[in-house]
Amino acid sequence: MRYILNSVTVIDPSSDFHNQKVDVLINQGKIEKISKKIDETEVKKIELPEGNNFLAQGFFDFSVHFHDPGHEYKEGIDNGLNLLAKNGFTGAGLLPNTSPVIQRKTDISYVVNKGNGHLVDLYPLGAITIDCKGEELTEMIDMHHAGALAFTDGTNPIGNADILLKTLLYLQKFDGVLIQKPEDARLNLFGSMHEGKVSTMLGLKGMPDIAESLFIQRDLKLLAYTGGKLHFSGISTAESVEMIREAKEKGLIVTCDVAIHQLLLDENAIEDYDTNCKVNPPLRTEEDRKALVEGVKSGVIDVITSHHLPQDEENKKMEFDLAAFGMIGIQSFLPKLIELSKQIPMETLLKCCTANPRKILGLENGAIGEGILANLTIYEKENSWEYSLSNNESNAANSPFIGTKLKGKVLGTINGTNHLFNS
Amino acid sequence: MSQLNSKHLLGIKGLSRAELELIFQTADNFKDVINRPIKKVPSLRDVTIANVFFENSTRTRLSFELAEKRLSADVINFSSSSSSVKKGESLLDTVNNILAMKVDMIVMRHSSPGAPHFLAKHIDANIINAGDGTHEHPTQALLDTFSIYKKYGSLDGKKIVIVGDILHSRVALSNIFALQKLGAEVKVCGPITLIPRYISDLGVSVELDIKKALEWCDVANVLRIQLERQQIKYFPSLREYSLYYGINKVLLDSIGKEITIMHPGPINRGVELTSDVADSDHSIILDQVENGVAVRMAVLYLLAGRQNEN
Repeated sequence: MRYILNSVTVIDPSSDFHNQKVDVLINQGKIEKISKKIDETEVKKIELPEGNNFLAQGFFDFSVHFHDPGHEYKEGIDNGLNLLAKNGFTGAGLLPNTSPVIQRKTDISYVVNKGNGHLVDLYPLGAITIDCKGEELTEMIDMHHAGALAFTDGTNPIGNADILLKTLLYLQKFDGVLIQKPEDARLNLFGSMHEGKVSTMLGLKGMPDIAESLFIQRDLKLLAYTGGKLHFSGISTAESVEMIREAKEKGLIVTCDVAIHQLLLDENAIEDYDTNCKVNPPLRTEEDRKALVEGVKSGVIDVITSHHLPQDEENKKMEFDLAAFGMIGIQSFLPKLIELSKQIPMETLLKCCTANPRKILGLENGAIGEGILANLTIYEKENSWEYSLSNNESNAANSPFIGTKLKGKVLGTINGTNHLFNS
Repeated sequence: MSQLNSKHLLGIKGLSRAELELIFQTADNFKDVINRPIKKVPSLRDVTIANVFFENSTRTRLSFELAEKRLSADVINFSSSSSSVKKGESLLDTVNNILAMKVDMIVMRHSSPGAPHFLAKHIDANIINAGDGTHEHPTQALLDTFSIYKKYGSLDGKKIVIVGDILHSRVALSNIFALQKLGAEVKVCGPITLIPRYISDLGVSVELDIKKALEWCDVANVLRIQLERQQIKYFPSLREYSLYYGINKVLLDSIGKEITIMHPGPINRGVELTSDVADSDHSIILDQVENGVAVRMAVLYLLAGRQNEN
């Protein structure tokens, strides 16, 4: 199929067309031509709304959680992938914390097969240890050959230094990336929010920031010893940003991501025991939030993710300390990027959810230009709309942003020959 | 001021000084009532109150029940030693089931901080927090501060030390908020592992030496060591605790001044307090218990909005 996107402004600093308003001709899933004006009357023109529309590389979510297999009612892969496609994502890594855990090549095949036929490229992340318990290693080479993109125990940190060390070494056979959630679970035992003044006032057991920084410090030492590639998922403290900056300066191959909600909210969001704001790592202080924003700006933080973790009402509409951790974030992702663009340049934000995550995982597609695969997101950033239970596209509704006004919408998503236009 | 600003009593944090004083004035009246030959008034005769206790409690439940009965309310009791969640029923379901029997007020004790705040968002009945885990226990703080007020006439400028397990206490935070709102100065004293790391952000000072703390204060409010709330070990042994944080007569005599001793009960005699301290003239522990009924009557009466009808 051949079609034209009329007058879209390219936002891709690595592209020759960055910041230019152009027409884009797409043919058989590839960008055939980009020009100020493409006049081909025969070719179908995609109807985009009036106004300023933007074209970026397709979004990539580094780690999403769909509870499939096991608790599909919370989201499921099919619904999750539709949700991603509608909201500008063309690729995503799927966490292995399902039931059963994604830990054998047959599990990897299940995820790969479930993803077939969808617009979004779904990449399974294989578990490092059996049942993500941090004890016994999985068959990672086998999973790699079956399609596992990287390895992680997902929402579970690897507590045992020896397991982490051996995995960092083992993955070097195929240049694999180890994704670690930096958390000393013992220091966080029974904790349900950031340890600080707010947790003290609310009588809630806190999760101290050193529970994160201790692990980052330890894991960086291990990385310096073993070599290999280490990615920290979901950092949340100012000290973490600082330690990773230093490690990068020393030349270690370390990268990290931050959940988008960490850039927007702080511990005060929990003041009324809002379980939708119960996340792990917890929302930290305003100083931490600012340091994370600076970390994105300066490039210490490579990736911004949705950290989409759906939970049903039975796990959220309840007492705060008993409620499950997690927040959904795919549908509000672009509007929240736009909100963040007041603090961080949009180019930087987009890089953190397009080129950077793909580069870390070895999936580079190249800058927006003629001849490359069409892997694109079209959006606008002016129109405001209310995010409500009735227009929520996730099976779950655990977002503090439901009931608030958002600005900006994804207009279309293109991944090769697949495309989806929301207008 | 003649009424409270909220229909619930979830904590002290949300109350103003004027509201605290209104509760004290009302409690003063009810203290007279319960010392009369006929200890009962008809104020809440059309009100049904459920005491819903998801954690063990003897004295708080008794005190509430008595306060309710002295106000002529109809009373039902629900208690479950473990959280209803473990039985497969949610908190909201349990409470809605009770409310379906046409109950007007809920007095709830629960192990989860914020559980009454959660309920308040989802149900219509008045809610009184009778202790939500390690968060607040507002009526206990009210009866504690009311007892100090009855003894000294005012709390302004008074120095109060709260001794013991601050971290797991359901009483400490409410006491801190109430004492500060009423103009008192607050210090906490105990093993540092039992003191919340950020407590000084609340304007509270920390003292690790019991003798120095007692020398500083006018009133020592000594908390129970809540061994049952400690999911992790915070100090090595009760023996060591009582040696270094227990209050005995020798220690009290050595500080060279009279201080008032309080305890929310039940006392671990020989651990936090020795008997000769608990039963001494300086102790107002049993006054606290008496005042508890009057204060709870005041809270129930004010929340039911009856002061406007008289």
